[in-house]
Amino acid sequence: MNDFQCLELVNMENVAIIKFKDEKMTDPARIEQLGLELLALADGESQPNLEINFDNVRFFSSAAMNKLIVLEKRIRSRGGSLRLSNLRPEVRDLFGYTKLDSIFQIEESQPESH
Amino acid sequence: MNTRRSWKSNNISVLSAGIKFLEESANVWVFSENIASSVENCDAFITKLVDQLDELGWQGRDEFGIRMAMEEAIMNAIEHGNQNDPNKKVAIFVRLTPLQFLAKVTDEGEGFDPLKVPDPTLEENLSQPSGRGVMLIKQYVDVARYNAIGNKVELSKTNTSTQSNLNGDHA
Repeated sequence: MNDFQCLELVNMENVAIIKFKDEKMTDPARIEQLGLELLALADGESQPNLEINFDNVRFFSSAAMNKLIVLEKRIRSRGGSLRLSNLRPEVRDLFGYTKLDSIFQIEESQPESH
Repeated sequence: MNTRRSWKSNNISVLSAGIKFLEESANVWVFSENIASSVENCDAFITKLVDQLDELGWQGRDEFGIRMAMEEAIMNAIEHGNQNDPNKKVAIFVRLTPLQFLAKVTDEGEGFDPLKVPDPTLEENLSQPSGRGVMLIKQYVDVARYNAIGNKVELSKTNTSTQSNLNGDHA
């Protein structure tokens, strides 16, 4: 229904579950587009509740994280919620190192397989 | 008889040293180029780097860390150092072995003082949508050292999985 270039809508019920189409988010133009699409999604609901499923994200840059920070602020200002799920261990580390796991709700996935 | 045994032993020793040298040179990737300031060039370099990391046995968090540090260092050089000017170059040098990663990234900009970049992990800065690149570079490698004017960063990192194999550790 929505013509997103960077996002894939998986579910649109109580919580909109979205995935990133790109395995790596590093190209500034794609990241800019991603930011616009995330905000459009948040602004499309009176009280946006989003879950971003990271299961196909292998690499995430600081510029892409910045877009999530802007999104989190927007959603919070509108009384909604944002959850991040299915992060690979390396990507989860990124949120820990930056201490952004204190502002994002992160669904912890199963322990790393050995 | 003793002389003969000694001669043979010496030749084996020389041969072993030769094999060792050949093995080492086959397991070293050296990259040294000046790339024009563009995202496409950065991507092309990162693709080569990731191929070599895989080839030389870097994986998981170590591989992710080098990729993160190099991507952030090169994008900082392109965007902040060279101001996205395609006529300005980013000099990239990498020496990669199964055990050790060394790199230098130099831009043509005026540089900056990394000590003056606000700590993005402080509570008051957490919601700032910028300023994490330098912190991430330092986080993901063992050593990140800027030159005096701040237009060149040298990075190094040891492969923890190879290191633990050498130490006889078992995960």
